[in-house]
Amino acid sequence: MTSKTLGALIAALAVLAAGISGEAQGPIRIGASLSLTGTYAKLGRNQHEGYKLCEKDLNAKGGLLGRKIEFVVYDDQSTPATAVRLYEKLITEDKVEGVMGPYSSPVTEASVNVTEKYKKVMVAPLAATTSIFKRPPDKKRHYVFMVISPAEVYLEGLIDTAAKRGLKTVAVVNEDTLFSKAAASGAVELAKKRGMQVVFQEAYPKGNTDFSALLTKVKSLNPDVIAAATYFDDAVALTRQMRELDVNPKAYGVTVGGDLPEFYDTLKTSADFIYGATQWEHVLPYPGNTEFFEAYKKEFGHEPSYHSAAGYAGCLVYTEAVKRAASLDADRVREQLFKLEMRTVFGEYKVDQDGFQVAHKMVTFQWQEGKKVVVWPDELAQGKPRFPTPPWNQR
Amino acid sequence: MSPRPAALAALAAVTLALAVYPEFGSGYGVRSTLQVFMWIVLASSWNLISGLTGYVSFGHVAFFGAGAYTGAILIAKAGWPWGLAALAGGLGACVLALAIGYPCLRLKGPYFAIAMLGLNEVLRALVSYFEDLTGGGNGLSLPTLDATVPIYYVMGASALLVTLVTYVIITSRFGLRLMTIREDEVAAEAMGIDTARHKLYAFLLSAAGPGVAGALTARDQGYIEPISVFPLATTITMIVMVLFGGKGTVWGPVLGAVVLFVAQEIVWARYPYVHPLLFGVIIIAVVLLMPRGVLGLLQIRYRLPRTI
Amino acid sequence: MNVFVTPAMLGQVVISGILSGALYAMVALGLALIFGVMRIINVAHGPLLMLGAYATFFLYSALGINPYLTVPVSMLVLFAVGLLLERTLVFRVVDAPELSSLLLTFGISIALVNLAQLLFTSDLRSVEYLAGSWVVGPLALSKARVVAFTVASALTGLSFFFLQRTRLGKAIRATSQNREVAMVCGIDVQRIHLVTFGLSAGLAGAGGALIAVIVAIQPEMGQIWTFKSFLVIVLGGAGNYPGALLGGVLLGLIEQLASLFLTTQLSEVVAYVLLVLILLVRPQGLLGGRQT
Repeated sequence: MTSKTLGALIAALAVLAAGISGEAQGPIRIGASLSLTGTYAKLGRNQHEGYKLCEKDLNAKGGLLGRKIEFVVYDDQSTPATAVRLYEKLITEDKVEGVMGPYSSPVTEASVNVTEKYKKVMVAPLAATTSIFKRPPDKKRHYVFMVISPAEVYLEGLIDTAAKRGLKTVAVVNEDTLFSKAAASGAVELAKKRGMQVVFQEAYPKGNTDFSALLTKVKSLNPDVIAAATYFDDAVALTRQMRELDVNPKAYGVTVGGDLPEFYDTLKTSADFIYGATQWEHVLPYPGNTEFFEAYKKEFGHEPSYHSAAGYAGCLVYTEAVKRAASLDADRVREQLFKLEMRTVFGEYKVDQDGFQVAHKMVTFQWQEGKKVVVWPDELAQGKPRFPTPPWNQR
Repeated sequence: MSPRPAALAALAAVTLALAVYPEFGSGYGVRSTLQVFMWIVLASSWNLISGLTGYVSFGHVAFFGAGAYTGAILIAKAGWPWGLAALAGGLGACVLALAIGYPCLRLKGPYFAIAMLGLNEVLRALVSYFEDLTGGGNGLSLPTLDATVPIYYVMGASALLVTLVTYVIITSRFGLRLMTIREDEVAAEAMGIDTARHKLYAFLLSAAGPGVAGALTARDQGYIEPISVFPLATTITMIVMVLFGGKGTVWGPVLGAVVLFVAQEIVWARYPYVHPLLFGVIIIAVVLLMPRGVLGLLQIRYRLPRTI
Repeated sequence: MNVFVTPAMLGQVVISGILSGALYAMVALGLALIFGVMRIINVAHGPLLMLGAYATFFLYSALGINPYLTVPVSMLVLFAVGLLLERTLVFRVVDAPELSSLLLTFGISIALVNLAQLLFTSDLRSVEYLAGSWVVGPLALSKARVVAFTVASALTGLSFFFLQRTRLGKAIRATSQNREVAMVCGIDVQRIHLVTFGLSAGLAGAGGALIAVIVAIQPEMGQIWTFKSFLVIVLGGAGNYPGALLGGVLLGLIEQLASLFLTTQLSEVVAYVLLVLILLVRPQGLLGGRQT
């Protein structure tokens, strides 16, 4: 045959082949800006791994709307300003078809302005600040969805447990940053609602390592409960100095950082009896939880943290909504996300009309001889809290 | 000596291109160019005090942060339009400069540098403390507004203005006096130059630009928090940009801003995990290998005019 | 929230202030030496401390020995690092305007912090060794901090002995007073610079080793120490080595007292405001140092 006919034949075959493979349109690209370096690096990477595992699992089950999904991830260096530019890049230059949220509340808060501008749905799995979602009517946001429980309820388990056992006075300390302040003010609200008296509340600057004066003041007031809205460094320092200064509340709880295995590795027995709050534990009876835990460990060589699980679940929630909408169109997906009620490895998902998470439950655990035992809420508890916390010199 | 017509034509062409860019650039491209303008404003302003008088302002980002908060508070709490708020930001920064410049400029060398550094931290801590006004550690969130393109123009105009002001100063007697202070302050005093007054003027001028840029950036981002508007890294970056391009020149800061911004973007895209490390290495390299900057070298090699 | 302050509480806080003050003093002494002798502001001082902390951590994890035994090792390692840095990079900016040294050391600081992040990851670590405190009457003395205080004081004392009584020490002081005259007297100024930088790094490393037992170790931990060392030097007077001692203890006390009588959040502001005020009102420091 002539070269012309041959060429036409080849072209026809190529088109056919492309059609058969079903990849004619290419994968669905989902963009995200994550904190892979900078202050939030460790946790941002866990979130990234959650996204990656979701991508892998989903593609193994046939993908989404008949196509594979592919995450396009950039590093925002844990800086809101950079994340803003990156979301612009993802949406306007890379032209991704969907976006997922970044790590941390400040970064999410800044990034949402971009996704709202371009009317792109964003499921933000690691934003715990209420003010991102609950806004006055003239500043309302329409396309952002929350997955985890808000900062304000981190210490709810501690307060509830204490109140149920008749404790009366609470001291609240917190780091002076967005999340910790919200957790602290939430704790104060909850305590007051339960009829407890907040005898002390003070913030300390980020990076503070010597809490002697703070704890001296706290000790003089002898509160029943100490609720500390912390990260890791401060939680460690605070605990050590509580021991040194012999501060003995009947219940003492921390927030972020208290759930990491390093917390116990570092403090050893000083960490026993401390209550911690976490959005997720792998022992919780959620569907597919154990499989997720094993698969994650196998894939990435270390245990997942709740950030990994939240990332994973967030991706599942988004793709489920896309599936139900049978389209990537933002308004249709959004409609589904408002209606969706879903139970994943991470727990419940359901949002109110502001996209604010109302179904997910945080759990409170207590370190008991090196193990994290979930003690609250009752329906998810696996053990009883060891109460009251014995004074240091009796351990 | 007036600039050559070819140079003017080139400048006009570039300005025109930048002016029409938002029409066909992507959102990301516009935002990135906006950032470049911001860096030009910052670098050139820093050049006005440190390049010309030799007084190293090591906490210059304090003016950026002050402008950002002034503008943000006026927009969020008093409902001002952002244009006016930006001007207020610049003014606020100038007031701050007056307040601290007056006592601080009496300090010599490294003490001035440390004082400015301490000042930056004081401001950051104060902003965190007065949370009713500033939102403290929570940050301040502005009403949603998509004004990226108008802000692009205003920031671009600011960059142009600061460069123009630098040119005017360098070619004027005032600029000459500043540089005399840099070379030998005692001799300058002996010659009858009121060094305190001149330094203060330069300091005020150098604060206005960052103040305005801070307010504009706050509006564009829609959210600010203390650590993101008072970071030491911003001061260092603007210093390195000026050093790279050529301290004490008109176009040095502009060149440094553009080149280093682009370089950073490339490095960061290609080497996501090591780019901060590379940034540190770049700083070391610039300091050791080219303390005079590109334009400085060219000035010597090719006998370029002082006023470039 | 008004808390009634009893004498016991005050005493407790004062003790805490003095304990941390000695540590500040030792670390700041290193910075003061570099500034006095080489006229360089070493912004990388904090990261050097951080490396010392990591050195102790790794030795402790690998060998399981008493972490306090690793202090000399951390010091030696950092001494070597300091020598290396001076020999390759810092010596080039000794005579340059202070902007160059500021930027260079800043660049080194960023490089060190990020190198640490890459090599050690930002996983949070700490050494748990000496928990609890010794109780003396109504006062609780944190064991770890008392040991840190003791070792720091000993090292500072040794440093002063070295500076006052040994030839090399005197040579360092001579160079710091007047470089030209020192050269004329036959002192090898280059070598002095090298040794001083190494010594300073060694002191920073010791600081890091001692606090490895107290705080969480992560790559960014050093930054705040750089600031505090500046503060100490400004308080005590630059170039005035005993001033660093006074400045350190003073800073420790001020921080704790501010935290007690105001709030912990404000104690940060107080420290920085103090820095600026002292620079404006009495730049030569409380004991009078020397202006550039």
